[in-house]
Amino acid sequence: MAAISALLMWGVVIFPIDQFLPQATSASLEIDFIFKFMAFFSTPILVFVNGYILYFAWRYHTRKGDDITAVGSSIHDHRWLEFWWTAIPSALMVALGIISYLVMPKYYLASAASVATIEAIGHTFYYEFRYPGLKQSVLNDMHLPVGKQVTIDLTSSEPDIRNAVIHSFWAPEFRVKQDMIPGMIVPIHFTPREIGTYRIICTEFCGIGHSDMVGKVIIESQADFDRWFAAQQRLQAAAGIPMEVPLAKGNSAAGGRLFAERCTVCHGTGSFSQRKVGPGLGNLFHDPAHPTLVTGKPANAADVADILEHGASGDMGTMPNAQANRLTPKDIADLVAYLQSLH
Amino acid sequence: MATQTIAAPVAHIHPPPKGFIARYVISFDHKVIAVQYIITGGLFFVLAGLLAELMRAQLMQAHGHVLGPALYNEAYTVHGSAMVWLVIIPILTGGFGNLVMPLQIGARDVAFPWLNMFSFWLFPPAGILLFASFLMGAPQAGWTEYPPVSLHTPGTVLWCAAIFLIGVSATITGINFLVTVAKMRAPGMTWTRMPLFVWATVTTAFLSAIATANLSAVLAALFIEKVFHVPFYDPANGGSPVLWQHVFWFYSHPAVYIMVLPAFGIVSEILPTFARRPIFGYKAIAYSSVTIGLVSFMVWAHHMFTSGLARWVQLPFMILTMAVGIPTGVKIFSWVATLWRGRLRLTTPMLFTIGFLSQFTFGGITGIMLASVPADVHEHATYFVVAHLHYVLVGGSVFGIFAGLYYWWPKMTGRMLDERLGKWHFWLMFLAFNAAFLPMHWLGLLGMQRRVAYYSQQFGPDQLGWVQGTNWFVSIAAFVLGASMLLFAYNALRSASRGRPAGPNPWGARTLEWMVSSPPPYYNFAEIPIVLSGPYDYGKPLPYANVSQELATVPVA
Repeated sequence: MAAISALLMWGVVIFPIDQFLPQATSASLEIDFIFKFMAFFSTPILVFVNGYILYFAWRYHTRKGDDITAVGSSIHDHRWLEFWWTAIPSALMVALGIISYLVMPKYYLASAASVATIEAIGHTFYYEFRYPGLKQSVLNDMHLPVGKQVTIDLTSSEPDIRNAVIHSFWAPEFRVKQDMIPGMIVPIHFTPREIGTYRIICTEFCGIGHSDMVGKVIIESQADFDRWFAAQQRLQAAAGIPMEVPLAKGNSAAGGRLFAERCTVCHGTGSFSQRKVGPGLGNLFHDPAHPTLVTGKPANAADVADILEHGASGDMGTMPNAQANRLTPKDIADLVAYLQSLH
Repeated sequence: MATQTIAAPVAHIHPPPKGFIARYVISFDHKVIAVQYIITGGLFFVLAGLLAELMRAQLMQAHGHVLGPALYNEAYTVHGSAMVWLVIIPILTGGFGNLVMPLQIGARDVAFPWLNMFSFWLFPPAGILLFASFLMGAPQAGWTEYPPVSLHTPGTVLWCAAIFLIGVSATITGINFLVTVAKMRAPGMTWTRMPLFVWATVTTAFLSAIATANLSAVLAALFIEKVFHVPFYDPANGGSPVLWQHVFWFYSHPAVYIMVLPAFGIVSEILPTFARRPIFGYKAIAYSSVTIGLVSFMVWAHHMFTSGLARWVQLPFMILTMAVGIPTGVKIFSWVATLWRGRLRLTTPMLFTIGFLSQFTFGGITGIMLASVPADVHEHATYFVVAHLHYVLVGGSVFGIFAGLYYWWPKMTGRMLDERLGKWHFWLMFLAFNAAFLPMHWLGLLGMQRRVAYYSQQFGPDQLGWVQGTNWFVSIAAFVLGASMLLFAYNALRSASRGRPAGPNPWGARTLEWMVSSPPPYYNFAEIPIVLSGPYDYGKPLPYANVSQELATVPVA
């Protein structure tokens, strides 16, 4: 009994992952429990297998002067032994499976309390974050308030989507990892629980700069977060110069080329319901079922141009602004002309 | 008595071919082809091993300058691709499968000797293509070559061509071996009298024949996309990058078992020979190989738990992956129980087998740790995975290859290897291997991702000291691991001139390959043996008619 307790103690002590890696989200406590559970039960298995190998090798090996024609036991099998060494690992697997199954939804499913959806976009070789309410993106350093569940929509993109590659978003202190895949939006959810500065690491090989693709996530109090957010808004307001969009000079052919390059990762040219990330835009100006835009304004050229310039947020997520999409006023005019030419 | 009453089937035997080329180059003889595979695979093992040493030299410093990122990416891509496709799979299947399986089933050759020759001759060009890519920009995206990044890095086309060739070779060999085992077993060799290495080889052959075709398909698609811009994987034009991952792993997970099942077979032969007792749980070991082979087709998405699969899809893959652990555990426990009340002779092949048992158990357990979805989400694509896969593929497959080489070397060459050098090789390799790969588990869990030439960004100044120290220690261990191979090379060369003549059965084993001279005569058996019972009943008369009972000698060593 003492031997067994010693083994169990060892199983816990050898896996002090939380001593080395802060548990910065609530899910990390549960993930670490799985690690400890696995270490707890695999330690005795390792000790028994290796212990028996060593014991048998010592106990039964042929020594000098032994009769070399002698043979060992002729036992072929042993039903009960085989039953138990099948049944016990099976029971452990079932237990691990159930625990993992119970932790999975806590980790992946958003609760109704999710306060904000932030978009994270992997680029070669940096991260871009888009916050609702901020018209310009934040690069590499992400700020989050402590104690609030957040949803992060992950994807990967480049100005020319054909150059986009798979990246990954790993925050080791959060025990969160999700690949950022071009053409796919995958949400992750977590609740930060410890104030601090943590790492975001790209774990999916993305090219020559892969080693240096490391971002930061700063977990801070709500007050600090609000201060940071307001400062960002002020900075952007100061930098923002209103555009003069030459709507009358829009070239729909140029707009079509631009659409294929910049917009098709999120939008198709089918009907509204043919959704990729945002709605299909084929009937944007002539859709009786959706006479108004996401901004609540009627679907006319000036208001579409306004969305392209300033971005918009709706229940499908955030449409980035012209700066994030690298659109000039002329580009916006071309795109509007192109969208008007559809159907 | 039975020897006189049962007549062997009449067979027409050709004389051996004349001339060096017909005998040793374009040979149809399974034993010569096996040696060709082992020598060619051995050369690629040296090259791929040197690449690993270069990588470790780069990683001795957090921001090292030995290779730089581009060359480092090329080094790990070619290292991984070569070790999987040019070393482990060809040596285990083409090498040991060819050398041992036909002899063990009492056949004169494989079913299709010409195809066997053809299959081998696809292998050197594949290796040359892969290594020649260094001359014009080697592939950089890792041995998995995930698109879209592999569409933007150089070398993908040559890589596709090389792996396609080796895939065709593996498919052909798989079909050849399946037919051989199904149709060419000696009279009386029922399925449950087959040696366990044959069980392992036939399961591997099934996996090679079925799974490798999928690899060929995705490789062809990647090639077509890269050269002709047909968008299979490019999301900008309606392709899916995740498609590659699904089909690639639908091959590459069974490939993990293609790389380890033959090693299971080798271990299952060596243990009873040197424990001088029957293998514990023959049927459990044989049927668990088949179970593992079948389930291995249903677990591929456990490589993709961070690839954005729906959560409900992840669940069955987690459960099935854990289920693979159960037959694997049955095997390990049966092997350990074979040692119980044996008369163990701790020869070099036996030491490598024991090393295999210990390390494969560890690699198996970290495999279960990777199966749990929430845990895998943290561990995926870090050094934890690098450590796990090396425990399985080096601690398992490569230790199995060395166990097999030390065990069957006398059969292949007719001469013994030196035991003392062999034991030095084992202890050096065992210690260096564990010193090199054990610390990687912690590096991975604490934030070191795989496929990085630098790790100065992701660790703060307070952590960088011990991370760099650990990497330095790992590199030194890796250099010792590489150096330990020199002992084997010296031992192998030395045996040609100074090795003791082996005789037909130096270890006193009971399977059929030991019932013929060493090296075996052309066409193996003058008379096809007749099999009367299973091969592992030490202490009883040999279970073969047409075979001299004197061959059941007990060895001197």
